Amino acid sequence: ALVVVFSPLPRLRGLLQRCWGRLERGFLPGFSGGQSPPWGPALALQAPAYLPQPVDDAGESNEAPSLLDSILWMAAPKKRRTIEVNRCRRRNPSKLIKVKRNIDVCPECGNLKQKHVLCGYCYAKVKAETRLIRMEINKKEGGPFNAPTVETVILYDGEKPTEKDEGKRIIERARKRPSWFVQN
Amino acid sequence: MRLSVAAAISHGRVHRRLGLGPRSRLDLLRNLVTALVRHERIEAPWARADEMRGYAERLIEYAKLGDTNERAMRMANFWLTEKDLIHKLFKVLAPRFQPHPGSYTRLLQIPNRDGLDRAKMAVIELKGNPFPPLICQRRNTEKTLLNQLLKGYREDVQRTAAP
Repeated sequence: ALVVVFSPLPRLRGLLQRCWGRLERGFLPGFSGGQSPPWGPALALQAPAYLPQPVDDAGESNEAPSLLDSILWMAAPKKRRTIEVNRCRRRNPSKLIKVKRNIDVCPECGNLKQKHVLCGYCYAKVKAETRLIRMEINKKEGGPFNAPTVETVILYDGEKPTEKDEGKRIIERARKRPSWFVQN
Repeated sequence: MRLSVAAAISHGRVHRRLGLGPRSRLDLLRNLVTALVRHERIEAPWARADEMRGYAERLIEYAKLGDTNERAMRMANFWLTEKDLIHKLFKVLAPRFQPHPGSYTRLLQIPNRDGLDRAKMAVIELKGNPFPPLICQRRNTEKTLLNQLLKGYREDVQRTAAP
């Protein structure tokens, strides 16, 4: 149910009635004279009820200060920074590059590695081999969304599946088994 | 006690903000989890891999509850966008990790990305995957330097203690 509650204040209602009366008699609501104003065809605009008086002198005094005046208010260094002060700032330990002491030698390949990070060379080696294994898997599966419901085991040249690899899917790789890939 | 709620300062806030918003973050992590279950070894930015690790392990714990469990199936349906992986999750990964109590994934940092951003990258893999291992375990034999030195020290002690 739609309920319309309309209870204007008495003064507002009086004002509205007077405006409406003037409109009906053909006067402009904002016109304060007795004569009938020129009513001609006009566009409906969102304009104030009265025209603002053109004021020239008040505008110029409120103009924002130009750049040449505001320069007087900007921050600027007072004296030249001496080389001693500059050196203190530039050579402060927080600005120097820290020395890394966590670099080691990989025991497998002899390349440098960070202690908590895998060796880049060894990881690239393993990544290349996994890529080839995945290509073999894709060839075996054929299309997308064919994930098998059994485990997978990878056999290299001349290897036979043992009794542990009973119900598993076999992926053949046509090369000798690398020394770092120990068969379980 | 919190005296001020400064919005621009993030001291001590632990939650990461990934992607374009919370929904985008969940979509990102969901894509990564799907890729991990499919390929079992993933290379991704370290922050995303770290965030995804918790979700992947909880998904495997849900899968361990079994195929018939309604909640487990709903979780797997939400988190795996490729539906053939749901079969793989329940039939391959759940039996594989049944004896393990926890920690089914391994997160290792790799050298920074080669592109312009030099991002911190990580490789995350499920344990027991068929691929070649990333870290080769060095077996402790008699011939290693440390063991030779310890053997020499033990013999010195026995020689001084004996007479």
